[in-house]
Amino acid sequence: MEGRIIVVTSGKGGVGKTTATASIGAALALSDRRVAVIDMDIGLRNLDVVLGLESRVVFNIVDVVKGRCKLRQAAIRDKKIENFFLIPASQSDNKDVLTPEDMMKVGQELRKEFDFVLMDCPAGIERGFENAIAAADEALVVCTPDVSSVRDADRVIGLLLSRSIMPKLLVNRVIPKMVGRGDMLSHQDVVEVLSIDLVGLVEMDDQVVVSTNTGTHLVLQSNSKAGEAFQRIAMRLNGQPDLPIEDPMARKGLWKSISKKLGLRK
Amino acid sequence: MLDGLLRRYFGKGESRSVAKKRLRLALIYDKVEVSEDLLRVLQGDIVDVISRYFEIDKESLKLDIERSDDLSALIVSTPILRAKRMEKLTSDVP
Repeated sequence: MEGRIIVVTSGKGGVGKTTATASIGAALALSDRRVAVIDMDIGLRNLDVVLGLESRVVFNIVDVVKGRCKLRQAAIRDKKIENFFLIPASQSDNKDVLTPEDMMKVGQELRKEFDFVLMDCPAGIERGFENAIAAADEALVVCTPDVSSVRDADRVIGLLLSRSIMPKLLVNRVIPKMVGRGDMLSHQDVVEVLSIDLVGLVEMDDQVVVSTNTGTHLVLQSNSKAGEAFQRIAMRLNGQPDLPIEDPMARKGLWKSISKKLGLRK
Repeated sequence: MLDGLLRRYFGKGESRSVAKKRLRLALIYDKVEVSEDLLRVLQGDIVDVISRYFEIDKESLKLDIERSDDLSALIVSTPILRAKRMEKLTSDVP
């Protein structure tokens, strides 16, 4: 069976695309799928450091496209997780060295080699974006619950739909306390405004910074809310689309649950 | 103002609903943003269609997009010089 190419995109920068790519990819590989994550941010590569593989980079995606190496030579095996591979970006080129046609050609090869291919898309909607979505079968649109990120997500969703790529939404960095006191958009608000399907929401979690600092996998850390959320997202992508979306607001505090028991609160 | 003070005292935010409202409007505005080029082509097409039914003053046809909070309207105004007769119409349009 052919693999699926999923582009992780957002329009706006700094909303957590790379972390999402790394964590969802790792979670998919942990459930015995053969997974590649590809850094499409040519000239500004980062997925390698997030995964702790920066010292192993030899070839990159541009080398693969230009035929300077085989796909298997450029795929760096993860240190911890079996069947998990990184194809890094080139750091010395710019986005114009690749074309969407190049990517479609490589895409065919990638589908044969892997069950899942996650493309970490650069910010923006220019050439880098076009390259990253060219070969994609599906898309994950990452956004945080703030007006600028949601607006950019809307723009990107429009561009994806115009190319017949069905996007799904990932709401990142939700702070339940702020949502609760009415100072942050909830994931339901964002879904309502963008009107696309939600694949999951990820709470703000200090562990993300820690795991990025050390180049270790968030999904292998115990007690990481974000890590668990990414694992559930991976499950939804991997044959369990109906796994219920957990609502952080429904998680009761002690008082809430006591008063609920006493029938003071619904 | 009292309302604002109260909210501040009780720590009850309201920025969530403000954000949602502003976003909705921004997205609507984004979607109806029309380029000058598109308007020019549209104007040409509209002149062609109306001219099948009316003699109009092509030069003074005006095309505008008016926006208010909850809707955008395309407004076309043109002086009509004369309506075309039906027989002529059917022979013009195959």
